[in-house]
Amino acid sequence: MEEIAKELVEQLNCETVFTIPVFGGIPVKESVVVSWIIMAVILLICFILSRNLKIEHISRRQAIAELVVTKLDSLVESMIGEEGRRYVPYLVTVLIYIGFSNISGLFGFKSPTKDLNVTVALSAMSIILIEFAGIYQHGFRKWLHKFTEPVWIVTPINILEVFTRPLSLCMRLFGNVIGAFVIMELLKMLVPVILPTVFSMYFDIFDGLLQAYVFVFLTSLYIKEAVE
Amino acid sequence: MEKIIALGAGIAVLGALGAGIGIGIATGKATEAVARQPEADGKITKTLILGCALAEATAIYCFVVAVMIIMMLK
Repeated sequence: MEEIAKELVEQLNCETVFTIPVFGGIPVKESVVVSWIIMAVILLICFILSRNLKIEHISRRQAIAELVVTKLDSLVESMIGEEGRRYVPYLVTVLIYIGFSNISGLFGFKSPTKDLNVTVALSAMSIILIEFAGIYQHGFRKWLHKFTEPVWIVTPINILEVFTRPLSLCMRLFGNVIGAFVIMELLKMLVPVILPTVFSMYFDIFDGLLQAYVFVFLTSLYIKEAVE
Repeated sequence: MEKIIALGAGIAVLGALGAGIGIGIATGKATEAVARQPEADGKITKTLILGCALAEATAIYCFVVAVMIIMMLK
């Protein structure tokens, strides 16, 4: 029991890989480095898929690229509605990033979403975008007035919601990733062969992608509510 | 002391009961809906998976709390 707990803590801790020697040293965590690797992979895929685009006689590569882009675009757009169309590219980017980072555990990396700092940053960006969308759509006064709707008595709850929304977003993503990870580790200790593969399909691939989808779905739902 | 910590973690996970009930009800209703309207299959599945993912979050919170109790209170 002691050994298991020790190994889990070791796996859950995010170590500092190196320190940038400016301003008294900025520590660079492992999650940041893995994020860079994921960014490089995504950039490489984008680069390969988007070379030599033509209007007529498209290649198979371009057909794949078009399919992926239109599918993801229409997926997010169906959630966010016509009004919030300008936020679709950001949401698709977040979807791809979270999806890739949740799967990256399969390739032996420590997934960045397992670090609470990453999910906090993601949800902070989401809530900033949500409030910005509201201000952009309605103007500052109308946006303030929205806090008192539908009746003035719910104002404290509406203000509280600005803080609970990102909290629940980041805790949901973090908890799911870490929960799946802990269960997989325990399973690997208990039954090292065959069974982990089956469960890995669910916990690593299905659940990881589902959580990316849920994160983007909730963000777009809030944005839709804000711009209405 | 250790036994009490273990007990606390166990009690924290009791909250997962709600998620179980919620997902059960959601799945039951989805089955009913598919039986009534088989052509709306895709939409129902999509909504169901989403609802399950949201309902599951409460269980996940319980789990996080339990893990924190075990890891932090040592």
